[in-house]
Amino acid sequence: MATHALAPATTAYRTGLYEWLTTTDHKKIGIMYVINSFLFFLIGGFFALGVRAELAQPGLQIFSDEHVYNEFFSIHATVMIFLFIIPMLAGLGNYAVPLMIGAPDMAFPRVNALSFWMLPLGGLLLLSGFLTQGGAAAAGWTSYPPLSEVGPTKSPGPGQDLWIVALTLIGTSSILGGINFLVTIFKMRAPGMTLFRMPIMVWTILVTSVLVVMATPVLTSALVMLFIDRNYGGHFFDPSFGGNAVLYQNVFWFYSHPAVYVMVLPAMGIVSEVLPVFTRKPLFGYKAFIFATAGIGALGFSVWAHHMFTTGAVFLPFFSLMTFLIAVPTGVKMFNWVATMWRGKISFSTPMLFAVGFLAMFLIGGINGAFSAAVPVDFALHDTYFVVAHLHYVLFGGSVFGVFAGIYYWFPKMTGRLLDETLGKVHFVIMIIGFNLTFFPMHMLGLQGMPRRIADYASNAGWNDWNLVASIGGFIIAASILPFIWNVFISLRNGKIAGDDPWEGNTLEWATSSPPPPYNFDRLPEIRSERPLFDVRHGRLDHGDATA
Amino acid sequence: MTAEGALQPIDATGAPIVVQEGHVARGISNPILGMLLFITSEVMFFSGLFAAYFSTRAHNADSDVWTKPQQLLNPLSLILVATILLITSSFTCQFAVWAIRRGDRRGFIRNIAFTFVLGIVFLLLQGYDYTLLFGEGMTLGSGVFGTTYFTLTGFHGAHVFGGVLMLGVILYRGMSGQFSSKHHDAVEAVSLYWHFVDVVWIILFSVLYLLS
Amino acid sequence: MSSSPRRRIAPEAVIAAVVVILLVVLVPLVVYSKIGESLFPPDAVTKQAQDVRSLYNIVFAIAVAIFVAVEGLIVWSVIRYRRKPGDDELPAQTHGNTLIEIIWTAIPTVIVLFLFGLSFNTLATVDAVGNNPDIRIHAVAQQFQWTFEYLDQNGNKVATQTIPTAAEGGGMAVPVGKNVLVTLDSPDVIHAFYVPRFLFKRDVIPGQTNRFQFTIDPSEATDGHPEILSGQCAELCGTGHRTMLFNVIAMSQNDYDAWLQALITKSNATPPPAPSVGAGATLNVTAQNIAFDTKSLTVAAGQPFAIDFVNKDPAGVDHNIQIRDASGNVIADPPLTDGGQSATYTYQALPPGTYTFICKVHPIAAMTGTLTVH
Ligand code: HEA
Ligand code: HEA
Ligand code: CUA
Ligand SMILES: [Cu+2]
Repeated sequence: MATHALAPATTAYRTGLYEWLTTTDHKKIGIMYVINSFLFFLIGGFFALGVRAELAQPGLQIFSDEHVYNEFFSIHATVMIFLFIIPMLAGLGNYAVPLMIGAPDMAFPRVNALSFWMLPLGGLLLLSGFLTQGGAAAAGWTSYPPLSEVGPTKSPGPGQDLWIVALTLIGTSSILGGINFLVTIFKMRAPGMTLFRMPIMVWTILVTSVLVVMATPVLTSALVMLFIDRNYGGHFFDPSFGGNAVLYQNVFWFYSHPAVYVMVLPAMGIVSEVLPVFTRKPLFGYKAFIFATAGIGALGFSVWAHHMFTTGAVFLPFFSLMTFLIAVPTGVKMFNWVATMWRGKISFSTPMLFAVGFLAMFLIGGINGAFSAAVPVDFALHDTYFVVAHLHYVLFGGSVFGVFAGIYYWFPKMTGRLLDETLGKVHFVIMIIGFNLTFFPMHMLGLQGMPRRIADYASNAGWNDWNLVASIGGFIIAASILPFIWNVFISLRNGKIAGDDPWEGNTLEWATSSPPPPYNFDRLPEIRSERPLFDVRHGRLDHGDATA
Repeated sequence: MTAEGALQPIDATGAPIVVQEGHVARGISNPILGMLLFITSEVMFFSGLFAAYFSTRAHNADSDVWTKPQQLLNPLSLILVATILLITSSFTCQFAVWAIRRGDRRGFIRNIAFTFVLGIVFLLLQGYDYTLLFGEGMTLGSGVFGTTYFTLTGFHGAHVFGGVLMLGVILYRGMSGQFSSKHHDAVEAVSLYWHFVDVVWIILFSVLYLLS
Repeated sequence: MSSSPRRRIAPEAVIAAVVVILLVVLVPLVVYSKIGESLFPPDAVTKQAQDVRSLYNIVFAIAVAIFVAVEGLIVWSVIRYRRKPGDDELPAQTHGNTLIEIIWTAIPTVIVLFLFGLSFNTLATVDAVGNNPDIRIHAVAQQFQWTFEYLDQNGNKVATQTIPTAAEGGGMAVPVGKNVLVTLDSPDVIHAFYVPRFLFKRDVIPGQTNRFQFTIDPSEATDGHPEILSGQCAELCGTGHRTMLFNVIAMSQNDYDAWLQALITKSNATPPPAPSVGAGATLNVTAQNIAFDTKSLTVAAGQPFAIDFVNKDPAGVDHNIQIRDASGNVIADPPLTDGGQSATYTYQALPPGTYTFICKVHPIAAMTGTLTVH
């Protein structure tokens, strides 16, 4: 195992395309994950803009056929969830985790490359649905049967099958990635790095990976059953032959609720790395934070039916109680973050702005999620735009802000150059304004009774104004992406040289060069706490053990 | 790129720097841990299918849709032979592991070969059993019972097939002398997988044939 | 823990205080102003909905309180604890504080348990289904049409309302102050019965009969003054999901009795004998797999014509052939033909132009075509 005798860092990235395509280096794979996911973010955003353009006014303007609208939001959500947010976070983890635990690479580098390459393949399969007769999948990202079954007014075309195959592929990629993370984290930590000295980011990836390994195969089983129903005459979800339509929902949400934590825990990990660095304080309640993360993971398996409160087929009190309870560990984290900033010395570099944006917006998404935990309230809110507001506040306000915090934070490590701060701030300000304009009005629309997944609405329903605001907001979000893309391009060429440790980081990735050489380290500082570099810089100041 | 960075202050404060000597193997090896996790995910996959089975069964508790085809399954038939063979193969697989741990390469190869053949025979028997059921009119599409039955046993069969392929690779590598008492992680991993496939079958057999 | 040296009141402390005060003042202002109203569900019309609304109010109040408190803390910290340029001193390295961590675990636990208790209570009234409803309605949701069957106390059908919206002269009428039991069935995919002012919805699932009960507040309607409530399918059910609109019409008991009697008479009336085919041409159209076998028809202007219509879909799948003019007005709307049946539809003479023929039940591309009259 060659971890020493390394080539100088400068040549590490002067390599050709072929080198990138065949690489098994976790850093290059991580970067490819990030780029690939970002491209899919643009694609998913393109579909979202289509949706918003249609909904800006009553009447059908953009789509002549409502079926196409259904394709748009279905593919929008599928792309955003399975090809953007999950792989993006996995990619940042892929880049950061081995560095943070002082390992030379992931445990199974070739499997890692395989996991990555399944993603663009799955994405292309999914999108190729648009070229088939009948178009892409149009039954929502949840694809409930019987609508997703074969039938002239259901989902007759191959688009739905492509959706199934693509998701199976992407799911397999996730599972292999999860196994890889777990083995890496359990077996390849640097000497001295006990479990309770791991960076929080590593902990969140650990818990996420457990969720992935345990929940994603269950999604696969649901997909397999749907595929059998569609293609081999199966009757799993077909009531006329003794099948049960609600069964799919149970199996699907058994995966998809834990999956929403897959989509947010690593972002919480990023925020928990960024906050301490930019406040110059340790994370408040390190251990409590870890237990809360594990608690969310465990509770996450017992709340799935809160998506099915109106089916009349689930035991309401139990799922309501568990859903309420999950607010408690999440609250613990929220308070830990606030307490971390409390009496800190905060510098507002762009990563920190996005981290604070995460706190402020995820809070809203968490609280409006708790509305739906109250079953009778959910009877009113289910399948209305209120839920659309909730899901974007947690997924965009939470996860996406976390992702951008991570990108701004690690970009200098990945490339050796800093992103431009001014452009970063412009990006942040436009984005947070556009985001709230788009998604806050959706609360009102939902309360006023506007259902989800409709291409059009009556002009006298009273939904015109807020829809227009939301559509304008959507395009403002799109505009905010442009300074970011521009920033990346100019900074790659002319950005300020980062040096090894531009932020005065706490964790091991900042102890190697930027970008790091293959196999990452030739030497490591001694690890005596979760902030080894802080210890090196300042000695062990006031180092009481983290309280539980 | 300059070399001035975090490493500078490390030296400056004189903090101790440990030269990493590579990672000493601790506990179980990476491939085996990886395989255990993979098996965990497979367990969850089958749990999903089993959940569908039990839910569908409860849904159609006293209906002909369920009970009629159920009666076609007879535990005291060819399937029992297949079951016994598969269980036997788990033993031969384990003998192979013990043999290679002792460094007994010939014993290892013999037992893996047995396991490999038993796996193939199981698949052939299951295929034959399928044709019998098709003859009785039970297929994936004949009703929910057929759907759940063939999905569960079919996916199990696919896993047996995967296992047989792995055994083939192990056999080949064993014959070309790639394993020793010190170096045989792949063998351990494959045997874990094979035991898992066996256990799934035992549960399947009990649920589908015995607890009906 | 030792704190860093304190300054006198810093300008950012003032800013922060202002922000917090603004929050504290603004939020209630918004809540009770016009915009604030839109943060609440619409006025409840049923007894059950009023309970949901009370619950919502409490959940909302607590949510706002938590939001203001936590968001306030975030804003405060951000403003108050900015790092001054040139300040290289480390802040106190606080790793935790057991007491405060216990407190902020315990308080939310208490809050959510309280909310759970409340919502559990409300659920008992909202979700209750009694044995002796005053009115029974069997609602069938089908791609893309609602049908409401009125049942007697023994569950026998007495009348069927096939026109779901008030704009077309239909709707699901119910008397105010009476206990209405609705059972829900679907022959195809999942739909959902949703009336915003009920603050309620329930999925309509094939293979599973769902039911719920409601009582409309007696003050909602008086004799001659019904209240029309809009409803809409809330579960994605395909291309026509959005078109599955319906109305619930709250009526006084008298109005309702008259309305029901009229519906019964209409349902019982034997369908009028098919009018004999007029002078014009007879065309053939077949529907199968929810699609017409032709996309374009041509007839002569100024002459009545007929269509021999064959519905080859399974029983239960109704179709018809509506004619709409260029601006979408329905000109002819013959009765539905069940799957497996056929019918001859006659149409009055039309002026020259381009028209659309379309299935009323399935207004989708596959069941739409062009009728050219020249
Ligand atoms: C990142 C993804 C993510 C996250 C983290 C969450 C988090 C939560 N979600 Fe959400 N959810 C989604 C993604 C996510 N959700 C998506 C995508 C859907 C829609 C799926 C679809 O139908 O398409 C959905 C739908 C959804 C529903 C179904 C709604 C419906 O269709 O009718 C429900 C119902 O209970 C729910 C609840 C919750 C709750 C209680 C949390 C909690 O975890 C939130 C906890 C956090 C807080 C509460 C804030 C911080 C806490 C404090 C400050 C402490 C004090 C607070 C209290 C005492 C309340 N979510
Ligand atoms: C991570 C997840 C994620 C993210 C980031 C987003 C981002 C956005 N979402 Fe999405 N959304 C979901 C997950 C997500 N969404 C889910 C799960 C659903 C439920 C679907 C269902 O019901 O099945 C949903 C549904 C949904 C709806 C409801 C549709 C309906 O029910 O009918 C709407 C409506 O406005 C919407 C809007 C938006 C908008 C405007 C954005 C914007 O924030 C997007 C901003 C990004 C961009 C605009 C990209 C930048 C693009 C460019 C700069 C140029 C264009 C690019 C090219 C030409 C390639 N989303
Ligand atoms: Cu019926 Cu949507
Ligand atoms: Cu959920």
